[in-house]
Formats: sequence, structure tokens, C-alpha cells
Amino acid sequence: MDTLVPLGFDVDQFTQLTLNGLTLGSVYALIALGYSLVYGILKLLNFAHGDVFMVGSFIGFGVLQLLGGSADPVVPTWLLLVLITLAAMAGCAVLGVAIERFAYRPLRDAPRIAPLISALGVSFFLAYSMQLLFGAEQRDYDAFSLSNGALFLEGFNIGNVRVPLLRIVIIVSAFALMAVLWMLVTQTRTGKAMQATSYDREAAAMMGIDIDRVIVFAFVLGSALAGAAGVLFALRAPTFASIGFLAGLKGFTAAVIGGIGSVPGAMAGGLILGFAEAYTQGYISTKWSDLLVFVILILFMLFRPQGLFGKADIRKV
Amino acid sequence: MKGRGWLVLAIAALAAASLAATAGAGSSTVTRSQAVNCKGTVKLAIVTPLTGGGGFIGQEQLTWAKFGVKNLAKKYGLKVQLLQGDTPVEKGPGEGLVVAQKFIADARVLAVIGPATSGGVASASSALHAAGIAHISPSATRTSLTQGSKKEATSSFFRVVPGDYIQGPTDANYMVDKLKVKKVVLIDFQEPYSVGLADAAEGVLKKKGVTTVRQSTSVNTTDFSSLVTRVPSDADIVFFPSQQPADAQTFGQQLLEQGKKAKVFGGDGTNSPAQFKLTGSYVSNFAPDISGIASSKALVDGWKKDNPSAQLGSFGPPTYLAVEVALNAIKKACDAGKGTIKNRKDVVKNVKKISLKTSILGGPFRFSTKSNDPLNAKFYIFQIQSNGTYKLVG
Repeated sequence: MDTLVPLGFDVDQFTQLTLNGLTLGSVYALIALGYSLVYGILKLLNFAHGDVFMVGSFIGFGVLQLLGGSADPVVPTWLLLVLITLAAMAGCAVLGVAIERFAYRPLRDAPRIAPLISALGVSFFLAYSMQLLFGAEQRDYDAFSLSNGALFLEGFNIGNVRVPLLRIVIIVSAFALMAVLWMLVTQTRTGKAMQATSYDREAAAMMGIDIDRVIVFAFVLGSALAGAAGVLFALRAPTFASIGFLAGLKGFTAAVIGGIGSVPGAMAGGLILGFAEAYTQGYISTKWSDLLVFVILILFMLFRPQGLFGKADIRKV
Repeated sequence: MKGRGWLVLAIAALAAASLAATAGAGSSTVTRSQAVNCKGTVKLAIVTPLTGGGGFIGQEQLTWAKFGVKNLAKKYGLKVQLLQGDTPVEKGPGEGLVVAQKFIADARVLAVIGPATSGGVASASSALHAAGIAHISPSATRTSLTQGSKKEATSSFFRVVPGDYIQGPTDANYMVDKLKVKKVVLIDFQEPYSVGLADAAEGVLKKKGVTTVRQSTSVNTTDFSSLVTRVPSDADIVFFPSQQPADAQTFGQQLLEQGKKAKVFGGDGTNSPAQFKLTGSYVSNFAPDISGIASSKALVDGWKKDNPSAQLGSFGPPTYLAVEVALNAIKKACDAGKGTIKNRKDVVKNVKKISLKTSILGGPFRFSTKSNDPLNAKFYIFQIQSNGTYKLVG
């Protein structure tokens, strides 16, 4: 039986759990953004997205080994982290384009169940392919060995709680990527074309927007973010071929909480989910955190299906 | 093809499917025992996770099984073929039975090395027993396999390593007697191995007046941050009986990250110098480091010659011992049957009688008269050094 936290508020514990939630939530937000970007345009739940995240973590691991591994890298630590993240983002972007081209585009005009089933198929295909190619064992980035453990042992303090460098890297990187995405979506022509397409695909096409290009761009962005999320996650915990399923479900839950199809909603949803998990594990029980995540999903679907930032779907009758 | 042709094809397919289903029927099916001529090739099967998260265990065991067959078949005057059965831990314990069925159906398979996992043994033992096949595990340590009123394994199951009913108290006594702990956090992963081990250790710790804090998390957890947050700052040890060494490494790193002073103490499932290498942590295992046993030096050198790039670990040598027990029993059954083994159960009867003056694990070996566990077996405690090696400390 778990020992419950005794009554009496512990500021340090709350700070630590908030930091845990922020770290976890940043990764969930990046995954959720991919779901929202694709759903916003195609009204498709890309269930393969979690496995793109998994592939990203493996690409990062592979590039890390090519660059000498954590124990003896051939480049400085900061450059190593940048390179493995960029490699994962690029690799996953290409994967996202391939998935869109071969698994979803041919079914664009089919009944909505068809691309959904295709998405599930792609998800299983990716997971089992990676398992076949690389085995099911865990892959550890061993970030602790980088710079003699500096990423874990150095940082700054908030009260008695240490904020290690690695957490700072993850949180800042995630927010930076979210900021870049926000700028791309709101300030660029292609971003505005994406918004127009999400409002009304046919009208956007009639206005001269290349829908295919916009859709591919959404997959590129979403998948690149998933790749980055894969690397940021794997810097702190081992990755393995079947991790994509649960990560994808949590990213999907975050997207639903925030409002599927809403970019700010996905960011908020990811953070909310991260905090909910951390506080549940810290104050109630580590056994219940996964259960809580899906209870939240069900409650939102029942009482606020449009999520926090989404708009209720009004149909004229 | 005309209508009748399709009908004939359908009936043939149905008949073939029925035959296949009968051949692969459930655990109650027993192949008719065939006499085996000991001058021909006899078969030994190893059932272990060769792929997946537990693959590092199976691959090590396989190298020692192959070496054992190569070395010992000559010694016992047998021609032996080693068959492999892969039971990835991700497929669950039921895979042990699926793989065992394949070997049950082969009348020349006289013994099984494994299953490697306790869940695999629990799943496959009844079927192997019904088929009269001795199964000797080099690594299944769950207490309830051979102890208690409802044993999960049958009388055809043997193990050459001690059970967790020894590991838990060994670890707990070391913590109290040598590490002088005052407060210990015990974590389980909501599955039988870790729950059993944590229960056994906690019982001893509590009796000796140590404050214990029990935590539980899902076996799928990989980020332990919030679990680490719950570890009291004055805890001395976190007992972490995971079956994933990489998780023990991650947990230990996150303890350091959050400034906790507690050290990680892993069970035999975390024994992997390649993956769990956090300086100062502890690991218990059922076999000593045999490179320190003078009588085993020749065997170690021989194995290294066959496996130049492999690392000497703790899962392999008990496998060699299991092979030795199996082949010794087969030889005795052959002698008793004057060159023929009439029934596989004859091998089972002889396994129990095995007594070795010196085993690869050091000292004599035989089975307890009260159970099919080794007599006077013990667990060993290692501490991880700054160069990543495991030093024997208890």
C-alpha cells in the first residue's frame, strides 16, 4: 500500500512536482500539436503519430551513437543535442510526408472510417517494424555520461529544489519549438493557408490554395515536432519500440483537453496533462496516474468535447 | 474451377486445419513416448528470451548453453543437438507454453533448459510434466514455483539457482547488517516477481526495526520523476526489484538529479553491467562472479575463446550448470536403460539424483531432498564501482 503524503503542505515537494509536470507536459504538448495540426485540416486522427514520436527517439539514439555516444562524443554536448534533435525532426518530417502520401491521401475522399483504420495500421506497422529491425530492448541515451553528469547535477535552485540543466534544456526547447510553430502558423503565408484550409477546405481550394501542399506542410510540422519530442523524452528515460502507443494516447488526450484542432489548445492541454500526472503521482499514487489521464479524457468527451479552446460544433438543421 | 472443385478444396482445407489444431492442442495433450536410442542424436532445448527487453539474459544463457553442450556432450559420450525457443518478455508468460509445445511434440527432446523466466515456468510446467520432460531453469527464482501450498511448478521442474525466498531476506539482512540502514523505500511494479521480492525483503526489514516505505508503479513506467519525489530525503536505500536494468539506471540518475541521498539496490533482474552502472548502487544475484573461482578458470577461458566479444555475466554460468545436470541425467538414464531411454520420465527421475563434486559456481552441487531447489544455495551482493564493474561485497 502506498504511503500517502502527510497533511501539511510541503513547498519543496510542490515545486519539484510542478517542475516534473512542466517537463512532462512540454513533451506532451509537442506530441499534441501534431494531432491538432492534422485534425484541424483533415479532420483525421493520426493514430500513427505516437509511433512517429517513437521513431524520432530512435533516430536520435542512432545519430548519438554515430557521433561517438554519450561517453565520448566527437562534438561538444550542446552541439550534440542540437544535431540529434534536428536529425530526429528531419527524419520524422520525411516519415510524416510518406505516411500522408501512401496511407492517407488515397483515402481522402473515402468514408472517415477508412483513413482511421489506415492510421491504426500504420501505427502497428511502425511499431512492429522498429521492433523487428532493432529489437524490443530499451535504448538509453545515457545522458548522464554527457559532460560528466553536468546535465543532471548542474543547474540552479528554487528554494531547496534543484532545477537541473537537462530539465531547462527540455522545457526551453519545447517552448521554443512551440513559439516557432505559432509564428509559422500565424505569420507566414503557408500558415495562413493552413488556417484557411482548416476553416473550409473547399473554399480554400477555390481561393487558389494548394490543398495538397498545405496538408503535406501540416504533416511535416506535426511529425517534426513529434521527432523533437521523442529526443527530449529519451534524454531522461529509455525508449523502446512499443513506447509510441501510450505516448500517442497521452498526446491525443492532451489535444482533446485543449481542443482538438486548436494549436494553443494543444499546448495548454499538454501542460495540463503533465501537471495532472505529476500531482497525482506525487500526492495520491503512482499507480493511478495513467488511470487519471483516461478518466480526464472521458470526462472531457462527455461534458466538453470541444475542449478548453475549441469551438462547439454547431450544425444547421 | 467448377463448384465441386471448390467444395473439395474447402473440405481438404478444413481437414488440414483440424489436423493442425489437434497437433497443437492444449497442455493436456501428451505425445506418445518413443524410445530414444542413446547412440543417435538426442536433443536439448533452451527456452529463454532471446529478443526483446530480456534478450540480454537469453543471449548470454545461449552462449553458455552452446558451450556446455560442446564441452559436456563429449564428456558424457552423447551426441547432442541444442534447440532454441525464444520467449520475449513482452509477449507475456504464456509464450513459455507456446514454445514448450514445440519441444513436447519432438520425441527426441529429452530435457529443457529453462524456461528462463518464472512466469514462463508457471505457464509451461504442467505441459512439460505431462510430457515427462525435465525442465531445469538457470534463472527462474520466484518463490511460489517450488514453495508454499500451491506450487506453480510441477515435480519435473528443477532450478540450479536459489529462489527469491532466499534473495529477499539476503538483501534485507545485508542492508541491516552491513549498510546499517534506518529507512528503506521498497518499490514494486505490480507483477509477481517484484511484488514477491519486495514483500520478502520488507518482512525482514520490519522485523529488524527498519522503517519501510512501500511504493508501487506500473511496469510500463520509464520516467520515475514523481516517484523519486516521493522518496523521503532521509531514506538510505531504495529497493528496486525491476527486471529492466535500464530502468534501475534511470531511477538512480533521477535520484541524483533530485538530490536524494538514497542508493539503489536492485535484484537479480537488474544485473547488467552494460545497462545498470550507477556508481555506489547495489545488485544481488544468484551466482558469484565466476572469474574469481579458481576451479572454473579453465571453463571461463574456454567460453571466452568461443565468445571473444561477449562479456562475462551472471546469467550464463548457471546455464552451464543446468546443461551439465541435464546431460548427466540423460547419461544416467541411458546407462540404466542399457543404451535406450524408454521414457522421457526416466531423465526426470535421474535429475533429482544428480550430485556434482564441483560445479562451475564453486563447490559441490545437488538438489535439496525437500524440494527441487539447490541445496544450501545463496545469493550474492555486488556493489557497482566507478569503472562500472560489479564488486562482490556480500
